Order: sequence, then structure tokens, then C-alpha cells
Amino acid sequence: MGNVTPTITDILHAEEANLAKFRRALRREDQIVFDDLFTAAYKHRAAAAYAGHLLPFETFLLAMQIEDHKEVMHLRAEIENMRKMLEAFKAKNDE
Amino acid sequence: MMNEYTGWLLDLYPHPESGIALWLLCDDGQRRYLRQDFPVTFYAAGQSHRLKDLWKFLARQPIPIELSRTERRDLFTGATVVLAASLDVPALLPELFQKLTNNFPDLNFYDADLHIALRHAAMYGTFPLARCHVTVDERGIIYEINVLDSKWDSDIEIPPLRILTIETDVDPTHDQPKQIHFQTKRNCITLDLKKANLNLGLLNYLFKQDDPDLIITSHGDTWLMPLLLKLSEEQNQPLPFNRDPLGEIRYKKERSYFAYNQVIYRGQQFHFAGRMHLDINNTVMYGDYGLDGVIEMARVTSLPVQTVARVSPGTGISAMQIVTALENEILVPFRKEQTERAKTTSQLFREDMGGTVYDPIIGLHEDVAEVDFFSMYPSIMVKFNISPETVNSKNLTSELVTYLEGMTDDKELGLIPRTLAPLLEKRYRLKNQLFTLSRLDCRYKNYKAKTAAHKWLLVTCFGYLGYKNARFGKIEAHEAVTAYGREVLLRAKEAAEDLGFRVLHLYVDGMWVKQSGYKKAEDFQPLLNEIQKRTNLPIALDGIYKWVAFLPSKQNKKVAVPNRYFGVFQDGEIKTRGIETRRHDTPAFIRETQMQILEILANAPDAESLKECLPEIRALILEKQNALRLGLVPPEKLIVHQTVSKNLNEYRTPVPAFSALQQLEYAGKPLRLGQTVRLIYTLGMPRAHAWDAGNGLDPRRVNLARYRQLLDRAVDTVLQPITDGDRFWFTRVRQLLFLDVL
Repeated sequence: MGNVTPTITDILHAEEANLAKFRRALRREDQIVFDDLFTAAYKHRAAAAYAGHLLPFETFLLAMQIEDHKEVMHLRAEIENMRKMLEAFKAKNDE
Repeated sequence: MMNEYTGWLLDLYPHPESGIALWLLCDDGQRRYLRQDFPVTFYAAGQSHRLKDLWKFLARQPIPIELSRTERRDLFTGATVVLAASLDVPALLPELFQKLTNNFPDLNFYDADLHIALRHAAMYGTFPLARCHVTVDERGIIYEINVLDSKWDSDIEIPPLRILTIETDVDPTHDQPKQIHFQTKRNCITLDLKKANLNLGLLNYLFKQDDPDLIITSHGDTWLMPLLLKLSEEQNQPLPFNRDPLGEIRYKKERSYFAYNQVIYRGQQFHFAGRMHLDINNTVMYGDYGLDGVIEMARVTSLPVQTVARVSPGTGISAMQIVTALENEILVPFRKEQTERAKTTSQLFREDMGGTVYDPIIGLHEDVAEVDFFSMYPSIMVKFNISPETVNSKNLTSELVTYLEGMTDDKELGLIPRTLAPLLEKRYRLKNQLFTLSRLDCRYKNYKAKTAAHKWLLVTCFGYLGYKNARFGKIEAHEAVTAYGREVLLRAKEAAEDLGFRVLHLYVDGMWVKQSGYKKAEDFQPLLNEIQKRTNLPIALDGIYKWVAFLPSKQNKKVAVPNRYFGVFQDGEIKTRGIETRRHDTPAFIRETQMQILEILANAPDAESLKECLPEIRALILEKQNALRLGLVPPEKLIVHQTVSKNLNEYRTPVPAFSALQQLEYAGKPLRLGQTVRLIYTLGMPRAHAWDAGNGLDPRRVNLARYRQLLDRAVDTVLQPITDGDRFWFTRVRQLLFLDVL
């Protein structure tokens, strides 16, 4: 590990470096989003390494998607909570 | 007439004329010099015409060598036809073998370069300080030798060793010592180095009076022995460091080598015949396990005390494997012969992997249990019979791993598991005893040292499977161990999640979990049982943290670092990993301050109360800052230790380490790669003061701003969890803490 094949962190660094030009050409606000996506990929390095996929970038994309979807689910739950609170508030006001 | 003696085996080495010499510390208090006939045999395999040439070559040698054609077992290829050569004088083998490797590089040699102590261990079951019963004739030649105790016993009868300690008044790497102190149980002598004529006769008197078995020195190898031996030669006054008058002081040159991604330095060595010499500054891990640990290392590895003290644990585990091989009549190759089999890229991606390491969930967590597999990798090797010769003997490793099946169906263990099993069993036994022993029990320290020694051997045994020079290494076996490790850890994670725990972190063989309302050890017992059921490997609760903080990376606050955390167990014990207190290059002043802050935090009953500690921490930091500003911190506590990783001419920028190395070079004290340079950051150029250059340090030159920066960083690290990563809150904490200074 690390002697013959690169470590998963090395691969992720390399992918990020490969996209350096792409990142540079992005607007500043998009660069922040780009960095956030790679941070999401970093969080799932262990799973990506365990998968041993020949094209690890695919697993990184999925890791980004997982973090994104987690955020969506979290926000959905938050909205649901707020909606319930709002309805309860409305019902109380109607009374 | 035959005599019988019982005692402890002190030393064993080749006799220059024939066989071996042994020193026995007998029960009557006498140190007896004994001899034993001990022919040694080595083997060669290769093309038959070359073996014939070798036969002729050996027959022409001026020493008697008994030659024969025989069959021996090679670990990988099975029965092999070999040429066997036996010598009655083991002392002549190294020189002869040197000739053979030069003249017959195409032949494979076996059992040719083995330490005499390992051969003896395999033949008679001996080991350093073993209790032995010997039958000898009137000339002191051993006819029978029986070992009365076992290296795997927990408690041993401690031999009444006579110890001589030799110390200098100051550290010779820092300043020129003026005195050397010699101390035994009965006598104390001081040699004044300032005197023109040193009286070495006093030292001779001390040796005659006390006749020490063990000489413990400080900088003995690198400074003391060269000086004493030079003085002895100048004054024509021989010093009896060797108990054996015919024996020679064995000298080994200093060396630097590259291992585990770092340069390691080993100083020159002086080994004595009939006595043991330990230089505490040239002893590997002495700080970790002390003399008890060194003796335990010697006993379990069978390497002499003064050898094992100066070699890496890897050499120790290799010695154990050699003894197992010799006991089982397996050929021990001179060089590793196994290469990695050809693999496709896809196979490489699937198999060339390490242990599972998660990114922990950043932040402060309460009531967290840390569960660890007991010596996971060695346990896996024994449980699943992973050895270079068993790998892929049944099915593909990937298939076996899925169902946690062993490498072989039969019960016979491979070479590596057979070597490790008793060591693992002993460590398990001692660890269990340690749980029940009081810290005040006289055995506690000894058991702790022994388990520390075992730990290093077991840690390296896994690495040695994949090490390029390991005689019994094979990369596929190394990969198999990590594959089982990953499967086992994932099964543990699944068990925890099935039982409703939140997995905060996974790190190779450990897991951090929590569940609301679970605080006591018995709450976690069902989890341990479930993991043990699913993995068949021993697992234990390392402890329950009152709170633990997993820290983010310094570069990216959103990314966690696997091995950077600190926490406090319920019993108040503090555990830190990867932070300043654990770093070798952190000055003592910074390390102590960070530890003091952690001790204050450890007093908080729970994570909620941590914020209440801030006023006390604030007072402490103010005190430390003032001490630094007013020059009240002793310069020794500001020393930064850095390992020399490149030569002077390889530095491109004048970093502090470069400046310090340059000063040492000018002072005539150049350092070699792998040695440690001690420096203090200074203002202007040069950027550092070399602590050991011999010239004094002007306290006004100390770069206080740099140390203040290091202090601030160390404080930030441990206060981070209290701020919950909220930068705004964090700024307010900083303001609160540094209000008085600003």
C-alpha cells in the first residue's frame, strides 16, 4: 500500500490538481462550491479505498453526491419541522 | 570427575579455538566460565556442477569442514537437495561465509549467517538469563545442559545481577564532562578528568572487588568507552571490561539507514565478553520499557541482552522466526528469495491496500467508548494461519476473507503463526493480570515493561511480512493480513450500528462508539460479545471517555484528521494523539503548558462544564506568557529536537536546523543522518542556536515571538473543542483569554 499503488489520499490530491485549471477559471463563488465538493470527497476516503475501484474518481463523485444528499435530507427535515411548527402556530392563532 | 551446577545463563559467544564459551551465574554466587562443543552447519543449494565446485573449494580450506549431501526442507519449495558443511569452530564461519558469497554468488546459502545464540536456542532451548542445570567435566566442558524455566513464564526468578553504573557529570554531547562516576552496590568512585594523571588502577580495583555482570552507562558507546579504552592504552593499564581474559571487546561501527520513511541512526557499539553492556542512550525503546523490558526482549527473542538492546524490534521478531525455523528443521535463507507475483492493475487496486481508517466526526463527544481488538494483526495471523507458505494454498484470499475462513484447513500452523502464538498468549495473560493488579503491586511495573516489549515485537511482525529484506516475508501474506483486518473492522462497525450505536471513528483496530444513555462498562458488554461472535477475535473495552475531541485539519477545518484527538477517560486518564504534547519536536515548555491545560480540563465532571474551566486556564496562560516574556523559562525547556534528515550541502534555505548543524560542524561536533539536533530559535541570523555547539546562549537572543506563536497554537489546539468550531465564539474565547496582555 502506497509503495506500488498510490494511496486514496494521493489519488484525490492528484484529481484535485488535475482540475486546478478548471477551478481557476471558475468564479470566486463557484470556487467555494468546488472546494466544498472536494471536502465532501475527503470525508469518504476510507470507503473509496475499501471499494478498490479502478476509476476512483467515480467513487469521489458519489461521495460528493452522498454529502449533497445528506444536506438535502437534513434541510428537508428542517423544513418539515418548521412547517409543523408553523401549522401548530397557525392552529393556535386560529383558536 | 563430573560437576553439576545450576544457575542463570549470562553470556554465550563463539570461542576462538573451538565450540562456544558460556558464562553461568551459579546459585553459589560464582560466575563460571564454561565451554561446550558446538559444531555449526550451513547449507548450499543450486546447480549441481556449482555445488561440486563449492565442495572442492571447502575441501581445500585450511580448517576442518565436514561435508555431506543431504535433503532439507525449504519453506516454499519443500524438500531440497543441499550440500551440508559443518565446522567445529563457529568463530571461523563469518570469515568463511564472506569468501563463499564472493566466490559463489549464484548459489543459495542457508543457515549461514545466524547468531550463535539463536543456534544454541534452537538446539538446547536456551535464552539469555535462562535457569540452567549443567553437567561439566573438570576442564569446564559441558556434557549436558538443561533449561529449567520457560521464556513464556510470567514470573521469573530474578538473577542477582551485580550492576555497575557509569555516568558523566554532564551530557557529553552538550559539554565536555569533568568527572565520571562509577557506582556499584558497595562502592562509588569518581574519576576527575581534569587531573593530568588519571588513576585507572582505582577502576581495576572496583572491577576486582565487585566483578559486575551488567554495566549500565550513559553515552557509553559513543563517548565513554572510546575515552576509557584510549586512556587504558596510553597508560598501559588494561581495563577488565571483558570478564573473559581471552575475549575481545566487540566493536560495531555507527550507521544511518532509511526505514519506515525516516532516517534512523545507530551509534557505534561496544559489546563485552562475559559481562553485559547497556548504553541507555544507545538502547532502542529504553525509555519505553527500561531494563525489565530489555531483559524480556532478550528472553523471548533469544538474542543476547547487549545485542537486543541495540537492535530494532524487527530484528527481534526475525530472530524468533529463525529459532522456530531451526527447531522445525526449516532452512533459513541468507537472503529473501520470494518476490511478489505478477498482478494486473485491477488486482493491485483490490489487494494492495492498508487498514481501514475513517475520518472521525469532528468535534467534542461525550460518553464515548473506545473498543480495541487485542493485537489485531498478530491475532489475525494466528487465527487465520497467515504465513508466507500458507497464503493462497487453498483458495483466493479475497474469497476466504469474505467468510473469515483460515488460509488452510489443517490445524498445523505456518511458521509465522507458530512463532507468534506463544508470544501473543503470554501478552494476553499479562494484560489480563495487569487489569486485576494494583498499581502498587511489585509486579505491576515489571508486567507493564514486559507487555510494552511484546507490543513492539507484535507491531513489527506484521510489517516484517512485507519488508523487502525479511527472510520469511511475502507481500501476499502482508496483504492478506490487512484484508482480514478490513473485514473484521467492518463487521465490528456493522455490529455496533445494528445495536444502535453511532460509530464516531474507525482506526485500523479500534472503534469509537456512543449511544445515548450508555455510560458504564456493562452497557457496552453486549456490543463486545456481538463483535467477538461475528469476528472470532478477542476485543476489549479500552475505556469510556468522559469526553473526547476529534480535531480538524489545520489546512481545512472541514476535513478531519484520523489520528489527531484528545480526551479524558472516566478514571481521569488523559489520552492524546497527534497534538503538540505527542510531537518530538515540541519544546518541553510548550508540551508542559498544553498538558497542564488538559489536566485542568480533565477535572471538569462532563463536557458541559468544560467552559467553566476557562478562567483557570486563562490564569495559567497569562502566567506562562509572562514567564516567557520575562525570560523566566529555563533555556533547556525551549530546546527544539529535530532529526537530521539531510546533509548540510543538501539544504536550499537557511532553516534553523541548517544553522544549528552548521554551528555544530564549526564546533567539531558534526552530526550524522538520523541523529537529533537540539536547537533554540533565535532572533536575526543565524535563526537558531545549536544547544550542543559548546558556546553559551545570550538570553536576549531567544526569539520569544516564535515561542509565543508556538504557545498560542498549542493553546488553540486544546481549546478548540470548547468553542464548538464556532469562529465567532472562538474569537471571544481568545479575547477573554488574552485580555490582560492586550
